[in-house]
Amino acid sequence: MQELFNEINWAVIAPFLVIQAILLLVALIDLFRIDKTNGPKWMWIFIIVIVNIIGPILYFIFGRRQ
Amino acid sequence: MQWITLFQKELLENWRNYKWIWVPLAIVLIASMDPITSYYLPQIMEAVGGMPEGASFELPDFQPSDVVMMSISQISSLGVLIIVLMSMGTIAGERKSGVSELILVKPVSYNNYITAKWAGLLVLVWASLFLGMLSSWYYVNILFGVLSFISILKVVFFYGLWLSLVATVSIFYNTLFKTPGLVAFLSIATIMLSSLITKIFGQRFEWSPNNISIYIKEMLVTGSVSADLLATALITIGIIAVLLIGSIFTYKTKELAN
Repeated sequence: MQELFNEINWAVIAPFLVIQAILLLVALIDLFRIDKTNGPKWMWIFIIVIVNIIGPILYFIFGRRQ
Repeated sequence: MQWITLFQKELLENWRNYKWIWVPLAIVLIASMDPITSYYLPQIMEAVGGMPEGASFELPDFQPSDVVMMSISQISSLGVLIIVLMSMGTIAGERKSGVSELILVKPVSYNNYITAKWAGLLVLVWASLFLGMLSSWYYVNILFGVLSFISILKVVFFYGLWLSLVATVSIFYNTLFKTPGLVAFLSIATIMLSSLITKIFGQRFEWSPNNISIYIKEMLVTGSVSADLLATALITIGIIAVLLIGSIFTYKTKELAN
């Protein structure tokens, strides 16, 4: 596993991680600023933080009220 | 000009509800996922294990054009889903909440209202596709081999037409129904049905918009724009125009009937 870790070219993976971090942050900031979401807020916190990549996207599509 | 105002309102709204942030980022992730995973496939296989001792697995030698087409096919499934889901409420949601009445009670023409919505959506879709293919191009160049920037621009142009059609279908159903979920379902059903019809009656619908990615791949391999690709592009633009005029028409009659 350690070997695999070293083999990875970080110039390739870094943009990926940055994008994921931006999505996560924007979703969380919006979640705290918004009055109400579809469904309980704590549920969305879990989805955004735990579900990789698609968690924030799910929140933006289904969590926000139009 | 009224149209410009409505268009700016559309852009501002999409910025305020973060669509300008998450849609491009999501498309970038979708487009760059496949180049990365196919490059690291040997390491992933090794890490996951489960291969019997001595078994060798012949990995295909990916050409840059193959990898670009992988990104395109990911956008065709996940990207289209995102476009449909994020556009399902553009008009339907406003009609449900009564915002559209607030706008249309003023002397705003239906033409301007619909086309401004449509243009706002299209700008977002094209920008996202461009950024997505740019990231795919970046990964293809550092991981697989050289691909010219011009060819990526051509891919964006022709594939953007297909995504525009998807967005226009969604706008069309937006003008017909007030429930966003129904709009999304019908848009996806229409796209799936059209691809099914294209597959079954392949000979008759040679220039169906669903075939555009086949011709795009051809263009990437040969390097020249074929007559089939141009014809398909023209037909796609034609269908977009018909759908747009149709949605203005249905919206007018629907609103007047209410």
